[in-house]
Amino acid sequence: MIEYCVLALLRDGERYGFELVRTLSEVPGMVTSEGTLYPLLSRLRRAGVVETSWRESPAGPPRRYYQLTSSGRGVLEAFTGEWASFRDAVDHFLKEKAA
Amino acid sequence: MNDSSLHPLARDYLKRLNKAAANLPRARRNELVGEIESHLSEALSAGASEAEALNVLERLGEPAEIVAEAGAGQAPAVRAGLNEWLAIPLLLAGGFIFVIGWFVGVVLLWTSRIWTLRDKLIGTLVVPGGLATATFLMTFAATTSTRSEGCISMSTRVHRHSPTVGKSASQCVETGSAAGINYLALVLLILLFVLPILTAIYLSRRATRAKAA
Repeated sequence: MIEYCVLALLRDGERYGFELVRTLSEVPGMVTSEGTLYPLLSRLRRAGVVETSWRESPAGPPRRYYQLTSSGRGVLEAFTGEWASFRDAVDHFLKEKAA
Repeated sequence: MNDSSLHPLARDYLKRLNKAAANLPRARRNELVGEIESHLSEALSAGASEAEALNVLERLGEPAEIVAEAGAGQAPAVRAGLNEWLAIPLLLAGGFIFVIGWFVGVVLLWTSRIWTLRDKLIGTLVVPGGLATATFLMTFAATTSTRSEGCISMSTRVHRHSPTVGKSASQCVETGSAAGINYLALVLLILLFVLPILTAIYLSRRATRAKAA
């Protein structure tokens, strides 16, 4: 699931690793340890859904920026649709049981 | 990488991460360590308090946990079996078993799934025949040097009994140049002995590394 959150965070433009990791870890219950997000970013890159480029930072060493590829954009769109119907289906049963 | 700009606790953390990541493929390890290092330099200034540093490191998580995540999705490790532990000694010394032993070693090497293409090429080409090649060449060299010794004693005899000095001088020059070649041959011979042993060590280390991964 976190994979898709990363893709969603990149929908509006590129972000560097630390920025992505901190944004994700600030949502409670989302991330157990920040460090494990970097291997996940690496997997997304190797899967070709994100690509990286180095940019100078205003202070300190250059940063590796992550950006959606066109295939990543496709994956995110497909997931957005599937997720909506999956969530509705789950809600359907949860509400029925509660009623 | 400018390590001195990092907090001492962050430097210590990176050291532990590097050690934990030793079994990852090199490119992946470099990427991971590089990203965690940038994370630490973004999150912590060199002058941050110890409490701040501990906080940042705790949020990052244990190096082993991060490395386990990085190793996930890799092909499951193949264990070195009997074939691998037979291949190494056969490549090293199989040449002594009527030469065919070495060829059996090569077949075992190439059919193994433990070693990469590079390992297999090294195992085959450094040195074809293994130690037997060096031994064979040494026997050959010994025969040649015996012959040149014979030349010296003969020339001395010639010098003592007859006045044909010119002939003995030319033979001495011949012996001298042969010594130069012998010196080169000796270095080559030592290499031919050492290289197969180094290859055997290399192959067994690669085999146990694959087991540990």
